[in-house]
Amino acid sequence: MSSPLKINFDKGTLILQDVPEAFLTQLPDLRWDERTLTFRAPAYRYRDIVSQLRAHDLSYQDTARQFTPEPFTLQKEMSPHFYQTEAIDAWHANGKRGVVSLPTGAGKTFIAILLISDIQRPTLVHVPTIDLMHQWHTVLTEHFGQKIGLYGGGHHELQDITVTTYQSAVMHAPHYGNRFGFAIFDECHHLPGEQYQYAAISSIAPFRLGLTATPERVDGKESRLYSLVGECCYEAKVQELSGKMLSKYRVMTIAVEMEDTERVRYEEARRTYLDFLKQEKINMGTRRGWHLFLWKTSQTEEGREAFKAYLTQKQLSFSSTTKQEWVWKLIQRHSGDRIIIFTQDNDTAYQLGERFFLPVLTHQTKPKERKDFLNGFRDGTYSILVTSKVLNEGVDVPEANVAIIVSGSGSVREHVQRLGRILRKREGKQAVLYELISKQTSEHFVNKRRRQHDAYQSSNAAPSVK
Amino acid sequence: MLTKDLLQYKIRKGQILPQLVNPANNQLLAIAEQLIAIFEASINTPRATLLETSKQTIDSTPGAPIIKRGLEKLLLDRTEFDTAPNEELIAFRQKLFTETSRLLSQEQFEDYTDYRHKVSQIVADESPIEGAELYADLPSYQPIVTFQTLSSERLLHRYNAAQVQGLLLHCNTLTLRLADSMTAELRQLFKYLRFNQLLSTIRKAEELYQITVDGPLNLFYKTKRYGMNLANFFIAVLHQPKWELAAEIQFRNKQRYQLSLDESCGIKPISQQFLAYIPEDIQLFQTMLQNKTDDWQIRPGSQFIPLPGDFYCFPDYQLVHNSGVETAIELFHPWHQGHLIARLNTLAEQRDVSLILGVSKELEKKPLIAEALEASAYFSQFGFIFRDVPTMRSLLPILNSLV
Repeated sequence: MSSPLKINFDKGTLILQDVPEAFLTQLPDLRWDERTLTFRAPAYRYRDIVSQLRAHDLSYQDTARQFTPEPFTLQKEMSPHFYQTEAIDAWHANGKRGVVSLPTGAGKTFIAILLISDIQRPTLVHVPTIDLMHQWHTVLTEHFGQKIGLYGGGHHELQDITVTTYQSAVMHAPHYGNRFGFAIFDECHHLPGEQYQYAAISSIAPFRLGLTATPERVDGKESRLYSLVGECCYEAKVQELSGKMLSKYRVMTIAVEMEDTERVRYEEARRTYLDFLKQEKINMGTRRGWHLFLWKTSQTEEGREAFKAYLTQKQLSFSSTTKQEWVWKLIQRHSGDRIIIFTQDNDTAYQLGERFFLPVLTHQTKPKERKDFLNGFRDGTYSILVTSKVLNEGVDVPEANVAIIVSGSGSVREHVQRLGRILRKREGKQAVLYELISKQTSEHFVNKRRRQHDAYQSSNAAPSVK
Repeated sequence: MLTKDLLQYKIRKGQILPQLVNPANNQLLAIAEQLIAIFEASINTPRATLLETSKQTIDSTPGAPIIKRGLEKLLLDRTEFDTAPNEELIAFRQKLFTETSRLLSQEQFEDYTDYRHKVSQIVADESPIEGAELYADLPSYQPIVTFQTLSSERLLHRYNAAQVQGLLLHCNTLTLRLADSMTAELRQLFKYLRFNQLLSTIRKAEELYQITVDGPLNLFYKTKRYGMNLANFFIAVLHQPKWELAAEIQFRNKQRYQLSLDESCGIKPISQQFLAYIPEDIQLFQTMLQNKTDDWQIRPGSQFIPLPGDFYCFPDYQLVHNSGVETAIELFHPWHQGHLIARLNTLAEQRDVSLILGVSKELEKKPLIAEALEASAYFSQFGFIFRDVPTMRSLLPILNSLV
């Protein structure tokens, strides 16, 4: 009698032995590996392979799967909103796979918790930042009343429910990718990244959930996301939930004039920068443009001057004196409100923090102080928080009702994410987002383009230019 | 390691040519010397001051800035900064921000100066605080604790090695052609290979051994997932007396380029080599063997062993009996699962001993491995299980059966 087919997990892949010849073409992505003289498949194909074997009633020995059903119990009953129930149903109907797209503040974590308790399999939650990792850890501990694992940012503890960063998962999934049956990818638009995708590829988890407010990517790689996690099975847009499940909001665009001396410096620096681009025939609109610019500017003294000029004009448009004056005016206008001030770079964030004596949260903030700033902002000890990009995504600050964007990357995604920080519903809350845009600079044109997005089209959103 | 913006290369007819510097160039040696001196003299000074001083040298000396910035980056990699949190400052900020938050929430100010004045009153009894000092524990203020110095010539060799490593970060697989030098350097190369969790196939072609190195997922994707491992592996290549390397480099623009390099590039090894040193495990093994028998001598593995098919392996140890009988041992640790399966498959039909296989107890615990070992006639005759290090009790019977 021939030996049964064997499936084993090996460094983010599956090793298959004793595969009947008739099956060689039927199992997806199965290839002969002459380095180990075995058949091999990427780990994420586990479900497809096992389904095929079961469909053909072929017996097999599975030593790849190192998880069993776990009786996760919720500490208290949870009542989902109608759209959360719809999302959960859609995910089940999609074969317990797929992406759920909801605006920030609409309760994506809530959906994940209900599904973890429903699926009852060891679960690995992937998040893009350390702050989000701790936030998920707190919420999961509260809802499941059991030890929740942390993997990343100096933590190396695996539990039946574990939260990890994408970065850590890419490094360690080859070792533990067979220990979880349910993989959740928060802010899953990150997943198709060149390296991050291996967090999903190296895992055998048959059940997969992606959560995001914006699955679309400028590089069009969302199709990769859908192939690794499952199709987008439910989507609700910000204006559909605004005022009902999310706070009402207004977007105010303030066009800021630079001071004369700064304007002169800006124009001069911009001219130097643009002349260099023209001379070197560099098109910054292309993907390669930025790399070419970096390389060319590092080659000669003239290039270095052009790079300095680039930084100067950027810095002036990001944090002119007039912008700082506007920040002061808005802080005064919203005395008593909970304000997040966003900047594009750390330098500007610290500049504002030092000028107005405010807590600044960046990736350079040490863990203990980071926790103090976030908790203090939530409980009202600190009414204003300055940040560059670390609060763009996911971190839950429901009390925030005012956002001041001093500078940003200009992308629609970032804008929607930052808006999302102040949209979490609270009784009587009216959120306001201010964008400070330097007049007659590249910022101005980027802003014009961005205003085409849905978030600006809401009846509640009243964009205005002063 | 150098970041992509610090790499210097040219592309010609699909070939990528790293622009290596001449390590004997006096001008470059002088600049390297100057930069090293700056780093050596910067202990206890803040990072920003170090970078400012280093920048002055970069700006004021002749030559391409990209090379000098590359040298600076390599020196920074050898510098340790004090990153411990400044608890006193953190406590001060906590107190100050609680107060400023209260002020801004509850009071209206005539202007910013009025606010600043109020803040200075609050902190009057504290050390004077200017805005710029509020975050005086940011990385730019961190003092240097240690700097691992080196000679200027060595720095230039490191720079050249880093140029190649920087390209290998963007490669998915590499092929090495080596002569069977029967030296300890070769053994170290295979240690590096296994340590970096890479897979390899060894074939013989025209008197040279051709080793293809990549990772498990390379079978499916042209992935740079193992680029870092391959770049680290290159360090061991530099120790080989004669080598040829070929790799396909692919940057984000998806265009692929061929990197071809051999020992004539002149890059000197950048890592320590302890060739005279006999590793502890070998010493222990030798002592244990001598305590039991005088008939067998053990030495570290130093040459390729042919296996059935067109395959070769590089063993951990080689043993010689007084009668001239020779054999070799290959050890498999918990992370060598794939390697072991491959080896068992290769030796499945083998009746004579080519190699003694030692498998760690922990690896044996894996159901798939346990079953594979159970089913292997070769292993039952020429294999043994060990816990931390192989013991003579399990090995000697096999050795004695060969004589």
